Amino acid sequence: MLEWLNAHIAYWHWLVLGLLLVTAEIFVSGFILFWFGLAAVFMGVLLMLVGMPITAQLLIWAGLSIGLVFLWQKFIKPNWKDRTTSGMAMEALTGQVGSVIDSNIGKARGRMRFPAPILGEDEWMFMSTSEIAVGERVKVTNISGNTLVVSPL
Amino acid sequence: MEGLSVVLALVVLVIITVGMGVRIVPQGSKHIVQRLGKYHSTLNPGMNVIIPYVDQVPYKVTTKDIVLDIPSQEVITQDNATIIANAVAYINIVSPEKAVYGVEDYEIAIQNLVQTALRSIVGEMSLDSALSSRDLIKAKLKEAISDDIADWGINLKTVEIQDINPSTTMQKAMEEQAAAERQRRATVTRAEGEKQAAILEADGRLEASKRDAKAQVVLADASREAIERVTQAIGDQEMPVMYLLGERYINALEELSTSANAKNILLPADLPNAVKGLLNR
Repeated sequence: MLEWLNAHIAYWHWLVLGLLLVTAEIFVSGFILFWFGLAAVFMGVLLMLVGMPITAQLLIWAGLSIGLVFLWQKFIKPNWKDRTTSGMAMEALTGQVGSVIDSNIGKARGRMRFPAPILGEDEWMFMSTSEIAVGERVKVTNISGNTLVVSPL
Repeated sequence: MEGLSVVLALVVLVIITVGMGVRIVPQGSKHIVQRLGKYHSTLNPGMNVIIPYVDQVPYKVTTKDIVLDIPSQEVITQDNATIIANAVAYINIVSPEKAVYGVEDYEIAIQNLVQTALRSIVGEMSLDSALSSRDLIKAKLKEAISDDIADWGINLKTVEIQDINPSTTMQKAMEEQAAAERQRRATVTRAEGEKQAAILEADGRLEASKRDAKAQVVLADASREAIERVTQAIGDQEMPVMYLLGERYINALEELSTSANAKNILLPADLPNAVKGLLNR
């Protein structure tokens, strides 16, 4: 078996397997098969240049796949921008800046207004550890129920 | 041969492990990661890698707005009227980890909260104001629930009152009240009409009696005049009067005989004496 495989596995087998795996990625969810396919294509190219036994080929292929997934996750994906925060209330609200229209001095909560409605409402209740006067600008740091936690800008 | 088996097994292990470690979270949901049973992190939409075998994803939470139907319930207003109200609430999970670990079933929890808050808010209103001020109820509801759901990382976007109706018994009572009021008005109107009619009828009778009296006077005057004239014209002579009377008498008898309901006519044999008898002479 081993001899047979050693004798019959050619570089183009790896190329075909790689391309099939990359194609299969279209039909399966999850971004894993793509990296295995890419590693297989790599393997095919490598096999064109240097010959090696089938066990070594498989080991290199597996290692290469894990390496690619790791590299992708570690270095490329963090640089991808999140295009939308739709459906994500926390991400849509935190960091937004609005102005206070009803102070929280002497009260638990005040009111603030955003220049444009956020999550379908432009006026929100807010609370803060510091007392904020009317007209000051505040930044949202967190949400607690229907109340925003803000800090003065 | 042994080498190949080991390597093949290793390849299978690698594929399964990488498959377990890569998590694709679709937009609109977040996944909770537990590391060895303890909360570790929340995965945002996109591709995420977790440590296989150590990390698990026990909860997948939607961050889209959730429509919560608040079942209809009987609410008693301040003036002891029963109304049936139901609502629909739109909630949004802001912090999935709080929603998942803070409460057993946030949908049931919020449904019950909205129900009880609705009951207490309507309980402070009179029936008429409860039926007419939905916006006020909405605002108060939102404010009342806001504090309770803060611990669960859930944001109540809006709550809308769908139906707010008096209960069937109340509706019946209100209908009966309206019907009775109309009945009362109808009775009063009818009585007034009858009174008016009676007055008018009496007026009519009075007027008619006056005119009858006048007519009798006029008739009497006319008779007197006629009698005087006849007396003047005839003087002591008897025969012409007898003749005239007799003629009229016979004419009257003839008319009697032609009428449909008198078939037997008795004619006095001694006509002049009969006429005389009429005249009492």
